[in-house]
Amino acid sequence: MSEKVKLNTTPSKIDVKNEAWVLHFPRFGAEGTHFHTYGQLTPYFQGLTQGKLMGTHCVNPACPISKGNGELWVPPRIDCPDCHAKMVWKEIKNPQGYIYTYTLVERGGTGLEIETPYYQVDVFVQGVCTIIKGYLINRTPIRIGDKVKAGFLTGDQATHTCLDIYWELI
Amino acid sequence: MIEFAPGNLRVPKWSRPVYMVAAGTSDFRKRYPEKKLEELCMDAFRMLLEENDLKMAPLDVKGLINMCNYGEFADHFQDQLLCEAKVHDYLGLNLLPNWGVKTGGATGGYTMLSGANTVASGYSDCTLVLGWERMDEVITWTGNYYIACAACKDFETRLARNYASYYAPMARRFGEMYKVDERIRAEIAVKNRYYACMSPFAQQPGRHTVDEVLAGAIVSDPLRFLECCAMSVGSSAALLCSEELAYKLTDHPVKLSICGGSDTLRTGDRRPMKIPLLPHETEEDYKQLYEDMKKTDGRWPGFESFGATRFAAYMAYRMAGIQNPIEDLDLVETHDAFTISDLQTYGDVGLTLYGQEQEYIRSGDCYLHNPYTNKPGKCPSNLSGGLLGTMHAVGATGIWQCAEVFWQLQNKYDKFHGDPKMWERFGKKKPDDWKSLQVHNPRRGLAISHAGVGSHVTCAVLEKAW
Repeated sequence: MSEKVKLNTTPSKIDVKNEAWVLHFPRFGAEGTHFHTYGQLTPYFQGLTQGKLMGTHCVNPACPISKGNGELWVPPRIDCPDCHAKMVWKEIKNPQGYIYTYTLVERGGTGLEIETPYYQVDVFVQGVCTIIKGYLINRTPIRIGDKVKAGFLTGDQATHTCLDIYWELI
Repeated sequence: MIEFAPGNLRVPKWSRPVYMVAAGTSDFRKRYPEKKLEELCMDAFRMLLEENDLKMAPLDVKGLINMCNYGEFADHFQDQLLCEAKVHDYLGLNLLPNWGVKTGGATGGYTMLSGANTVASGYSDCTLVLGWERMDEVITWTGNYYIACAACKDFETRLARNYASYYAPMARRFGEMYKVDERIRAEIAVKNRYYACMSPFAQQPGRHTVDEVLAGAIVSDPLRFLECCAMSVGSSAALLCSEELAYKLTDHPVKLSICGGSDTLRTGDRRPMKIPLLPHETEEDYKQLYEDMKKTDGRWPGFESFGATRFAAYMAYRMAGIQNPIEDLDLVETHDAFTISDLQTYGDVGLTLYGQEQEYIRSGDCYLHNPYTNKPGKCPSNLSGGLLGTMHAVGATGIWQCAEVFWQLQNKYDKFHGDPKMWERFGKKKPDDWKSLQVHNPRRGLAISHAGVGSHVTCAVLEKAW
């Protein structure tokens, strides 16, 4: 078993329809494929394959919660849940945070694409209002509070899924 | 939303009260090849009509039913869409309207809520509420994947495909923030699986020790095997009706109040909120908690608690006139799919303040008989055996919890759990050391039906009405 966690999956095919990525999601065999769109979240998944972590935030000054300067959402969403205005994309440069909580996944359900055992981590990033769930590439013992930085699967390595971002101990 | 306007906090009001007069259930098994799904539903329906001491003949009771609400969690386990139609037809109820209710693990509770609303509104005088689940058509690890489809498909399902892994981080954080020894979680598993030993319906009864639980295989760290419920097959039912019909049908009707709450599907998306206070709580109670949270980037409900459950209890207590749950309730059925969901819930429903959930276990008041005071436990939980010990045939669970509370309030625990013939019916033998878990003269009970990592929750209050 390798020191660093690896995926055991093949990259998902995508179609691009009017800028939206439509993911080919196998259900049963080739004829059972589901064509699942990322819609206006496409820039997030696209960003991962380019080594970028993109979030969205509300810039509507009339929003009772954001007051025009909202915290970032990751996972992102394009419509503000507090005022329904369109949110705006922003890259989180050099994404770093700490482990807010975690679990060690020793065995996942059928079809798991991540080599076990691995840590499923929830990461707190300053300026992000949500806590980001992901996987850690290290297998050494960890604790709440350990600092991590994001890594990406880009180019040929990209799966076009949420697995294109991972976290690594600093 | 994270801030409410007064309109959002309006307490639900019914046009007329709702009563529960009968209940029925199948037994529950991991795999049940002996029976088709509709045959199990019939077992529940038959018991409901025939074994609740109703004052009318079974077919006459059936002649009062106006409509049915059915609960099933996950279509893809059976790949039988419109399973409601098959069950409804099999029970011999066709042409009467029926509809399905689906809210993950809270399906049973929300089906009760939906059925209750038909009676409360005057739309129906008598509604059958019946739920089921069949989870044995696939191997366990595929079943785990199916259940994990109730996590966010874009951002979470791929990260484990195993629901225990979405609860485990909550167990980790809860334990560290509130300094809770794992032995407390293990004790919940020991208690509920032991209580299941007294139930002929139970799927995994067992006499375990705390050490045994903690020595078990890890499903997702820190949750061990015995801390997680199993997949299940079976069905449960309840009959709800108007006040007039209730007293015609039974000398022991139970009044029902039920409310729901919700929260995000993804735990991480739960932004900091102010705690909605239960009737017995004050702002002062949580001043220190908010201070402590500042030091740890903590938030309510965060990873530690369930906003959905707190919201449902906030509403249900005001609807039912519950002032202080541990004093006003005589028993509770909580959603112990995992020991941690149970433990977290004690704070949400106000059995303790937030941050002190473990005290409910440490005090011994969670037991039928408090081992520390030598008196009855103030408010025992999961005397039914809970999800860990007895069942989690998901679509049935919330209905079955109400059935168990219902029979307790009617002083019928022994009738349904202690009759040797009931054990034989399911091919089992009543244990020689069987003990009655009947609470002494209970007046009010609670049932919590819970979905996902707290995306949907109902809180039902059942009250003796004679």
